Amino acid sequence: MNGLLVHETRANHNEMIPTAHEVLGVVRETETEFTLRVKTDAEVHHGQFFQISLPKVGEVPISVSAIEDGFVEFTIRSVGKVTGELLRIRKGDRLFLRGPYGNSFPIHQFRGKDLVIIAGGTGVSPVRSTLRYFYQHRGEVPSLHFIAGFKDDNSVLFREDLELFRQRFDTIYSLDHDKVPGFEVGFVTEHVKQITFTDFSDYNVVIVGPPVMMHYVALECLKEGASEDKMWVSFERKMSCAIGKCGHCKIDETYVCLDGPVFNYSVAKSLLD
Amino acid sequence: MNHDIDIKEIRKNCFRQSKVKGEFMLQMRVPGGIVAAKHLSMVQHIAETWGNGTFHIGTRQTFSLPGIKYESIDAVNAYIKDYIREIEVDTCGVDMDVNDAGYPTIGARNIVACIGNSHCIKANIDTTALARKLESIIFPSHYHIKISIAGCPNDCAKAHFTDFGIIGVTKTEYDYDRCIGCGKCVEACAHHATRVLSMEQAKVVKDECCCVGCGECVLACPTGAWSRVPTKFYRVMIGGRTGKKSPRMGKMFLNFVTEDVIIGIMKNWEKFSAEVLEHKPVYLHGGHLIDRAGYHKFKEMILDGVTLNPEAMVAQRIFWAETEYRSNINVLPVATK
Amino acid sequence: MSYTVSFERMNELIQSLQSNYKIFAPVRFEKRGRYSDTDMVRYANISCVEEIVHDEKSDFSPKEVVFPVTQAILYFTESEFMESRVHDKKILIFLRSCDIHGIRRLDNMFLRNGNVADFYYKRLREKVKFVLMECHDGWDTCFCVSMGSNETSDYSMAVRFHDDSLEIDVKDEEFEPMFGKEAQSDFTPEFVKQNAITVKIPDIRDKDTLHEVYNLPLWQSYNSRCQSCGACNAVCITCSCFTTTDVVYSENGRMGERRRVWASCQHEDFTAMAGGHRFRTTPGERLRFRALHKVYDYRQRFKTEQMCVGCGRCDDRCPEFISFSAMINRLSEEVDKLNEVKSK
Repeated sequence: MNGLLVHETRANHNEMIPTAHEVLGVVRETETEFTLRVKTDAEVHHGQFFQISLPKVGEVPISVSAIEDGFVEFTIRSVGKVTGELLRIRKGDRLFLRGPYGNSFPIHQFRGKDLVIIAGGTGVSPVRSTLRYFYQHRGEVPSLHFIAGFKDDNSVLFREDLELFRQRFDTIYSLDHDKVPGFEVGFVTEHVKQITFTDFSDYNVVIVGPPVMMHYVALECLKEGASEDKMWVSFERKMSCAIGKCGHCKIDETYVCLDGPVFNYSVAKSLLD
Repeated sequence: MNHDIDIKEIRKNCFRQSKVKGEFMLQMRVPGGIVAAKHLSMVQHIAETWGNGTFHIGTRQTFSLPGIKYESIDAVNAYIKDYIREIEVDTCGVDMDVNDAGYPTIGARNIVACIGNSHCIKANIDTTALARKLESIIFPSHYHIKISIAGCPNDCAKAHFTDFGIIGVTKTEYDYDRCIGCGKCVEACAHHATRVLSMEQAKVVKDECCCVGCGECVLACPTGAWSRVPTKFYRVMIGGRTGKKSPRMGKMFLNFVTEDVIIGIMKNWEKFSAEVLEHKPVYLHGGHLIDRAGYHKFKEMILDGVTLNPEAMVAQRIFWAETEYRSNINVLPVATK
Repeated sequence: MSYTVSFERMNELIQSLQSNYKIFAPVRFEKRGRYSDTDMVRYANISCVEEIVHDEKSDFSPKEVVFPVTQAILYFTESEFMESRVHDKKILIFLRSCDIHGIRRLDNMFLRNGNVADFYYKRLREKVKFVLMECHDGWDTCFCVSMGSNETSDYSMAVRFHDDSLEIDVKDEEFEPMFGKEAQSDFTPEFVKQNAITVKIPDIRDKDTLHEVYNLPLWQSYNSRCQSCGACNAVCITCSCFTTTDVVYSENGRMGERRRVWASCQHEDFTAMAGGHRFRTTPGERLRFRALHKVYDYRQRFKTEQMCVGCGRCDDRCPEFISFSAMINRLSEEVDKLNEVKSK
């Protein structure tokens, strides 16, 4: 699968040791979500993730929500032991990281083709860096349609970015039930039909969100004429190691940490837990 | 036929009076409730030759053979000689004369036991072996005592409702490094027992105070982090009984004592009974004798010369909870105004 | 060269080996088994040959020597990380052919899966040399022959036990000088040629069939049987999953440790993410996941043999009498039926 990853091993390298990084800023996104800006010079690709480490608390895999010169951002929902503790991180604190891990969205394949990005809830985080990239390099794609869905007004992430994206992309922002200016009402699946895949000469579709959302959005895209091999999704799984040892993220012979988290839909559709 | 029979003497010989005049039911001892299956042919022979063709699995695990005529008792007693020798003398090591006169006494009743760890996955002890050891201590004695032995605190043998109830318990040991923190033992303890386990820092901690020693944690553990210590431990319940007047559940007398302690107290039991009953073995069983003597006197006498193991726990006092039928004044006939 | 060595003499050799080696072998822990008055046989450090349980299958596999149940990976002080250490001795393990194959499977998982070798596995594994314990007939739950793990030449020494002596085939030059004065023998280890059980690996030919396999009623039949206790994972020589946890040592929480402990894919929380979402919520689905990993997924990933080595310990240890070998044979039968339908 994906050209099996049996590479030469690095001798006596301890991948489990995290390194300290300075937190450059903290932005509160919603009641439970916040974004940490962390200093790093690491080469990071859109869609990859890091293991964020809090000594004496634990480690969690978090995908990057922004990649800029000299820093990355992580947008975290505080739901567990580690993410709960991460809420206490302040600007100037040190954060321990290892990574980046996993593959990334194939930006090189996206260039020159129309791009559709459909994200739901926290699924907006892993695609945000891609969106920011094409915001800055708008000329690289003929069109970019971005559909973002959130549960309600209180769970909207990245409000500033969303406003910027309106200026350069074809955007549809939607809330499940709330009627709020600037947002449509309904699930993201209901807005897929506004994309006319047949008008594109070539295109890619990125779908990220909760498993059920990705499933139905993908079916909707297929119904609208999108083809499987042009669709991309990103998986989230429990992980302890992120380097293909701990076994938690395994689905058939696939390890999400190694072979994902980004999968072409033609592969992802057959990844059954 | 007109009979003139001393039924108390016959009872002492383990033949119980029937409602049919002149008929009796033989109660044969099966210590621990387990014998070789071959003895069933003996039971069949007695039932079909002298009895009414049936046998009852006695409530205290005896072979009970009803419908034996008074006139057949001698023949039956002669026939069961081999069984008595094999079970009582050869198997249990009872010090007694075996002759054509049948059982020498009905005093100490048959020792009841669940199947124990020779079969049961839950059992902590070999109940059969213990029953046989105790048989050699309590039999033959004219003093009336009932003993039940349960392999684990689930108490299928109803040790809680007998004079001396002995329950196999275990001291478990926890291997911190073998534990994977899966919490299966925590679930098992909460579900089956006293909820003494909990998770702390991805490992298990135990509230030693309230552990009943059942071993469910050992059964549940996938890695063998929990195990029983090789020494066997016992809980002793005393004073439980059924009865028309004041049935009650027994109370805990000893906990986490070793077999030596059990043997020791059972050796003191006859002396205790004799003293309380002024050396007259009347038809009154052990629980009542504890009442007569009072718990503290009982404790003093029964533990006399017994060395308690360091893990042992002893009841400082006992508060009985009897069902006193005379006092159920609130239970009235429906028709009463 | 092969030699006949008395236990007495072997114990002297073991004693001298101990200056450089920790020696692990299956050892009896009396009355420490799951059920009362049963023993547990598992791997532990030995100092004499009489401690080695050679005529029984061990309850647990030797994997815990190279992949400890609980292993500290990092220590934390207030301001820094510290890598955990291991002893500086080399390791000798007495084990059977199936387990040697099993450790090779672990090597694949820990050293070759992904692009980084696992530091903690590697540092123990590099110390290890194998002493093969010859198997005569195996035991009633073994199916090593079906899994191709009944034979091996991958050992430093091989032993056959007699009442008070053993025959030993020394292949490793390091150990050869030790045996210079011993009586030579023509011993070479024999291997099990046939098991009571034959297991057929399912012939899953494509993803479509795999997905049909997912939906077989076979798996649901285990829902009421399997208690999800994870004992099968714990005893398996090839189960390699773990979970990482942080702990603090003291009330003030200043010092602590990051450790890994074995994880079980049969446990309900194996896939649980923060927020509570989990996959494979029934025992049947989890058993399916384990079964396919052992006989299909691993093989697909590494393009080698299946993962299972047929030691049969999962059968021995299952408190619900679920037989893994029977499960795989049931699965193979079902897959054959699916293939037959497809070929028509």
